[in-house]
Amino acid sequence: MQLKKQKGISRLLATATCTLLGTVSQQVSAEDWEVDSAILFYSEPDRVTAIEPVITLKKKFSEESTLNLGLTLDSLTGASANGATASNQTQTFTRPSGKGSFTTKAGETPLDDTFKDTRVAVSANWEKQFNRLTSYNIGAAFSKEFDYTSISVNGLISRDFNQRNTTLQAGLSFASDQIDPEGGAPIAFASMAAPGQPQPKQSGTKDKDTIDLLLGITQVLGHDTIGQLNYTLSDSSGYQTDPYKLLSVVDSVSGSTLDYVYENRPEDRLKHSIYANIKHHLSNNDIVQASYRFYTDDWGIDSHTIDAKYRFDLGNERYLQPHLRFYDQSAADFYRHSLVNTNPLPQDATADYRLGDFTAITAGLKYGFKLKNAGEVSLRGEYYLQSGDSNPGDAIGIQKDQDLYPDVDAYLFQINYSFKW
Amino acid sequence: MASPCELLVEDVDAITASRLTQLAFNEAKRIEQKFSRYRDDNIIHQINNAKGKTIALDDETVLLLNFADQCYALSDGMFDITSGVLRKVWTFDGSDNIPGSNQVSETLKLVGWQKATLENSSFTLPQDMEIDLGGIGKEYAVDRVFNFLAKETEASFLVNFGGDLRANHQRNNGSPWSVGLENPDQVDTAKGAIQIRQGALATSGDSKRFLIKNGKRYSHVLNPKTGWPVENAPRSITVSAPTATDAGILATFALLQGEGAEKFLKNEDIPYWIIR
Repeated sequence: MQLKKQKGISRLLATATCTLLGTVSQQVSAEDWEVDSAILFYSEPDRVTAIEPVITLKKKFSEESTLNLGLTLDSLTGASANGATASNQTQTFTRPSGKGSFTTKAGETPLDDTFKDTRVAVSANWEKQFNRLTSYNIGAAFSKEFDYTSISVNGLISRDFNQRNTTLQAGLSFASDQIDPEGGAPIAFASMAAPGQPQPKQSGTKDKDTIDLLLGITQVLGHDTIGQLNYTLSDSSGYQTDPYKLLSVVDSVSGSTLDYVYENRPEDRLKHSIYANIKHHLSNNDIVQASYRFYTDDWGIDSHTIDAKYRFDLGNERYLQPHLRFYDQSAADFYRHSLVNTNPLPQDATADYRLGDFTAITAGLKYGFKLKNAGEVSLRGEYYLQSGDSNPGDAIGIQKDQDLYPDVDAYLFQINYSFKW
Repeated sequence: MASPCELLVEDVDAITASRLTQLAFNEAKRIEQKFSRYRDDNIIHQINNAKGKTIALDDETVLLLNFADQCYALSDGMFDITSGVLRKVWTFDGSDNIPGSNQVSETLKLVGWQKATLENSSFTLPQDMEIDLGGIGKEYAVDRVFNFLAKETEASFLVNFGGDLRANHQRNNGSPWSVGLENPDQVDTAKGAIQIRQGALATSGDSKRFLIKNGKRYSHVLNPKTGWPVENAPRSITVSAPTATDAGILATFALLQGEGAEKFLKNEDIPYWIIR
């Protein structure tokens, strides 16, 4: 009862053992999920406060494909400028719902504190290696807050050249938004009715569709240097107006506020931007990064952004990274700090300070470290200050004593924790 | 598993050593609880008491039974996990209690892997037959624990469950792990040492289980086709292979060869140590 003379029974046995051990261990020790979690605290003193927890999950499903999932929660409270300017008198405004009102003291910039909103956003992206040099990424995103819903799909293709020293990317995305303002969308330049009085509004929900195009090149510039150049184009059409924003109408002689009218923005917006970035790894293990972005759109806004970061390597996988950002923006063609009663109504007008002429500076510091076998943590604090022309040349009468473009500042604090699960 | 199990890890702090030991213990315990034939609350008990009914199996059990099936084929029927019932007539306690041939042939009717059916993740065993994974279980546990630890640490470690062992790589100073071969006549003393850098070692033998009658030694390895112990089996065979499962099965196959153990192992061209 001898075993058949089979040379290599151990090889067949090894195959059997592989099946026994290989498959089973794959079942139990599946690839980990890489988790990136963060919570952001944002505060504009006396204005808006936001808390934003974010979680992203990333998992490799094979050597060639990865799934990325994201969940963001945004909770905003506080007050935001409603577009009316400060006056030498107390001002009363009707809340967007039409019920209730709020008052602003003389000399203060009116802030609407009806601002309590929560937004949820989810996204999913699938990255797949198409062949050795090419990969693609397709995804979808959905976000909802009580008066705004957005659905988008995106696709990106990447290809390497020059022994992988160059990567070209092309991407396209479509977004479809639905806006359902509280109380309904206002009629352009309609006067704000007193609290309790009927306010004529547009019926139905509003839409906005956006198409975005991205073209980019990433290039290895040296042994320790990498650069990136991107061009993006964005075309959106639909309801672009902010349904809660007003403009003050002032008397042509005294400058006193006579009326408030709802703003109106063009239906179409075409944006272009060019972004360049360079990153260099120094011999002492520090990293320096600088970028510049130029933006222009057909609303007349041009902007420049210069951003720089320097990461100090502190050893033991810890780092300290100061950050500085400088931003300058020119106003939209239809931006007005206020309207004058004797002038004809323009086709479009907004007093939203975010579309005005301003410069902003951000300074921040980030500290990061690794936990032994338990992930990475980083802490980031930033201070933001923007300012514009508080006393423009065309201020009339009492307006000359008011701050027609108040500074806005904000504090930001973020904790980030990345780990494998 | 009825044997001392140990984990040797080099150059880690106490917390990591504790964590790795806990991991190893948990997996070993899990396998023992799931596949031990001494328990009445696991799949083995279910199968052995099914009275001929078909039992649905989980993925891991399917894999193990498939593996047992392949070993049955590769060994030409000599490795048979249904041969465990023969222990009812054979008790290897060092005494001279040899069973009568009637007893053996009666019990032999309940032996034969070919009588069992494994298909579509279910298993059917004729009434009164039993399966015993004792010949695979310990080595399988070593490999499972090894795989878990290999994912958790880069440190040099060696998993040793009662003599079936596996190391991931040589020790930090470049030297191999030194393993003593137990003297079959003097249990718990070593008869020579084996140097191993990485891979597995498994030992099959009769060190603790045998019968002696009229000066003839009967090893506990039974020939499933005759119901009688394999004749002239070595006292102990130690085999080296990449995994503990491979090493264990090869050592068992060699032992089943009895007289031809050396020839078999030479033919396989693998490192081995035989004590006769």
